[in-house]
Amino acid sequence: MTTAPLLKIEDLRTYFYSRSKQAFIRSVDNVSLKIATGETLGVVGESGSGKSITALSVMGLISDGPGVISGKIGIKTDRVQKNLLHDLGDYVTVTKKDNKIMSVKKDVDGWQQRSESMMSRVRGKEIAMIFQNPKSSLNPFTTVGKQIAEAILLHTAITSEQEAKDRAIYWLDRVKIDSPRLRYENYPFGLSGGMCQRAMIAMALASEPSLLIADEPTTGLDATIQSKIVDLLAELKSELGVTTMLISHDISIISRLSDRVAVMYGGTVFECGPARDILAVDAAAKHPYTAALLTSIPSARNVREKGYLQAIEGDVLDTINIPAGCRFYSRCNRVTDTIREKCERHEPDLREIAPGHKVRCWLYFE
Amino acid sequence: MKLSAIRPIALVLSREMAITLLLLLGVSFVVFIILYLSPGDPFSALLEGQLSSGESPSGAHEVLGVPPSWYARYLSWLANLLQGNFGTSIRTGMPVLGEVLRVGINTLILTLGSMLVTLLIAVPIALYSVVRGINKISWPLTMFAYVVSALPVFWLGYIVIYFFTHKLGLFPLAFGYATTSTKFGWLYALLPIFVLGVGNGTISEVIRSLRDEMGRVMAEDYIRTARAKGASVWKHSFKEGLLIPVTEIVAAKIPFILGGAVIVEQVFNWPGMGRMAWQAAQDRDYPVIMGIAILAAVFVRLGSLFQSVVYVAVNPRASKE
Amino acid sequence: MKSYSQISGEIGEFSDLPFWKKADTVDLAYVTYGLLIVTLVVLSYFLGSFNLLPHDPQDLDLELMMAGPGTAGHLLGTDFMGRDMLSRLIVGIQAYFLPGLLAITISLLFGTLLGVLAGYHGGRSETVITYFTNLVDSFPRLVLILLVIAAFKPDIYVIMIVVGITNIPVVASLIKGKIQFLKQKNFIEADTALGLPTRTIILKHILWHNCRSLLIIQATLGMGEAILMETSLSYLGFGVQEPTPSWGNMVQSGANYFMKGQFWPSTAPALAILFTILGFHLLGDGLNNILEGRRGK
Repeated sequence: MTTAPLLKIEDLRTYFYSRSKQAFIRSVDNVSLKIATGETLGVVGESGSGKSITALSVMGLISDGPGVISGKIGIKTDRVQKNLLHDLGDYVTVTKKDNKIMSVKKDVDGWQQRSESMMSRVRGKEIAMIFQNPKSSLNPFTTVGKQIAEAILLHTAITSEQEAKDRAIYWLDRVKIDSPRLRYENYPFGLSGGMCQRAMIAMALASEPSLLIADEPTTGLDATIQSKIVDLLAELKSELGVTTMLISHDISIISRLSDRVAVMYGGTVFECGPARDILAVDAAAKHPYTAALLTSIPSARNVREKGYLQAIEGDVLDTINIPAGCRFYSRCNRVTDTIREKCERHEPDLREIAPGHKVRCWLYFE
Repeated sequence: MKLSAIRPIALVLSREMAITLLLLLGVSFVVFIILYLSPGDPFSALLEGQLSSGESPSGAHEVLGVPPSWYARYLSWLANLLQGNFGTSIRTGMPVLGEVLRVGINTLILTLGSMLVTLLIAVPIALYSVVRGINKISWPLTMFAYVVSALPVFWLGYIVIYFFTHKLGLFPLAFGYATTSTKFGWLYALLPIFVLGVGNGTISEVIRSLRDEMGRVMAEDYIRTARAKGASVWKHSFKEGLLIPVTEIVAAKIPFILGGAVIVEQVFNWPGMGRMAWQAAQDRDYPVIMGIAILAAVFVRLGSLFQSVVYVAVNPRASKE
Repeated sequence: MKSYSQISGEIGEFSDLPFWKKADTVDLAYVTYGLLIVTLVVLSYFLGSFNLLPHDPQDLDLELMMAGPGTAGHLLGTDFMGRDMLSRLIVGIQAYFLPGLLAITISLLFGTLLGVLAGYHGGRSETVITYFTNLVDSFPRLVLILLVIAAFKPDIYVIMIVVGITNIPVVASLIKGKIQFLKQKNFIEADTALGLPTRTIILKHILWHNCRSLLIIQATLGMGEAILMETSLSYLGFGVQEPTPSWGNMVQSGANYFMKGQFWPSTAPALAILFTILGFHLLGDGLNNILEGRRGK
């Protein structure tokens, strides 16, 4: 990609300090991602792989609590250009002894204020977000229409209530909600889950953001509704060209909508590159985890070739005791004797193996 | 509001009204039973001349010299209550209802005023603790609330009276209504309101439940959505996190504050229902204490009804349930 | 099969930690203070019962009236009639200790009964219990007690029965909630499937294993209520009468002196009330946070 990235995440680490376990939960550990204007980046991984926490870190929605976020989240649009994590490290003091972390102190108030002021003109305006469980994500005490109109009044040039209402109805129509004028007056409890997600999408797009983060937008919906939401997202993508970060554990959704894909595991990125290179079943060079993930999809082809569905053995990585070597080592079925020692002892970097295609695996390195 | 929105609300409210009436019937029955079992036989005085007349259902028994059954007594007493006849005070000979209502307004002022004081103290502390968690400001405030909630309200009254009469010399030492003729008279009315508001023993509980409720709402998905779209978290959490819990607390704490009013009215010589109840208990003035118990219960049930009204009006789901 | 759970074996399970390691230091401080107060109250009750007092609480010493705390021979000073304050405070515990226990017993016993009925059987019994709860909650407690006083001129034990009855709904609804929670988790269903007799399920599995701490907490808070009620009533002149000391009537009888600037005779018993009720409240809340794990962040 030649265009300057809209969002550039560099070396993002989001740790939570677990008081009961006296240890860090390294939910996001050394993640770097780029999203260029106009493209859709699909982030795929099992639950607990850190993909949602990455999105929430970008939105500054995990500023409270005893968590530590470090790295860089650069955003560059026509209106703003800044590092959303700038100076936040000043509010955390880590005491170390013998290279072991003894205590972590966080000035929660200072952190929060800093983070809020940093995010104030970004949230909603530059980056909008939609979530899983749309029904609980809409305010049950306000009509759907008013919630959309609120986003319009907050973030667009429209200042009159009536205009905002008209615009909200336009967006309800745009996300294919029947009789939008009536639906404007509905409360979320009167709408189905699919309709609520459409309303959420309308609300996110109504503020005309530079980037849309869709965090598991189909999770918690019925299968038929899921495919309709995906259809809608695909249509909006081709019509509006919104830059999107799509997060899902469902590879079929990712492959349908993404231009580029990042595969996450155990809090870090294992592989990223053009969607066709990574998700094509017969592409040669790819991370063993990605390969395993692809063969675990229930598809006609997988079943036909093997006669059964392949599950990935072992459990999802425990993000407290991260092993020294490759995070996937104990579950990997492609470790060869020549690289076994490296896999066990040293974590590989994310290296480019083809133009725009990076992999974190010793198999592809000298 | 549109007509279509009012109908379900009216439906829920008529149900609530029915429950309230059923409960008040129960209240009257409890009061009746207590007085019926009393060795003093208060009903002979209360229902004098009524049960022996022809309109009484048990009139026939009366002729034979058998005392009327308990339910006959209850029904005729209840009929009297519904007609506004609460009997006459043994001590003053005045009709009870008029007397109790006359002082009831003072108690209403005292109770609502102190509820306001309690909320003015508790709400900011609760909100602060939700936003900032436990830190070096909210922790002493929570501790202060605990201490204040354990404070005997009469002693707090003494301190306040001593301070305002002796140290500031604002009021004559002889407490009472008559002393309010000075130019700070209006201030004297504020003292018991303040004392009861601080010392009713519920502040720490109010803080805790408000904090828990607000904290729960702050963790809801829709608040995260509000933050994600850059909207005000307070605006979105107001209804569920503050308005509904506050009305619930107001309704639930009315009985406690009315109880506290008995003591505070005593300490400040405030001419209210509580003081009258105290006097009536001293004199075994059954009609008066009975009237007060029933009116207090009516007050409590009205508070609860008010809470349901707010809940239904605010929560669009309530009328669908 | 290779699995990461083997590698991460050293992680301690949160729920396996002993409770004091899970508890916040704040809650521990609450409980410690509360237990200290409870011990003092119980100890003083027995000192009072066996008459092991520094002075006779009725002994007038007209030479030494209104002595402040720390006076030789009178650790907490004397009141306006020269009676030893410490002895009177200790004897004052007699006024509420046994009556308070009676109130607790009634509310716990009947509250548990009703709670089990409503939670375990549900249906109509639940409706009836909800009605009863709302009915009891309709009366301001003190007004109801004044009504009972007017009707019967009863002693403190009868009054505490009323206090106990008014506390039944709180206990019942907590027990009901707990049982409904257990039902939701299919805990009771599993027990029934195992063929355990209903009595074992209710007594052992529900009440002993799951409601024990809840009942202890309610007992603690109930004692606080009872003390508040007794002191309020004796302050109003309906409880224990002078010269027998009770904390409430001690505050009341010192009132005139308080207004003349001699604070101690009223303040000493008032502080006793304050610290004791505070102790019971903190003990109840601390235990609640530690045992039931309900800390609002």
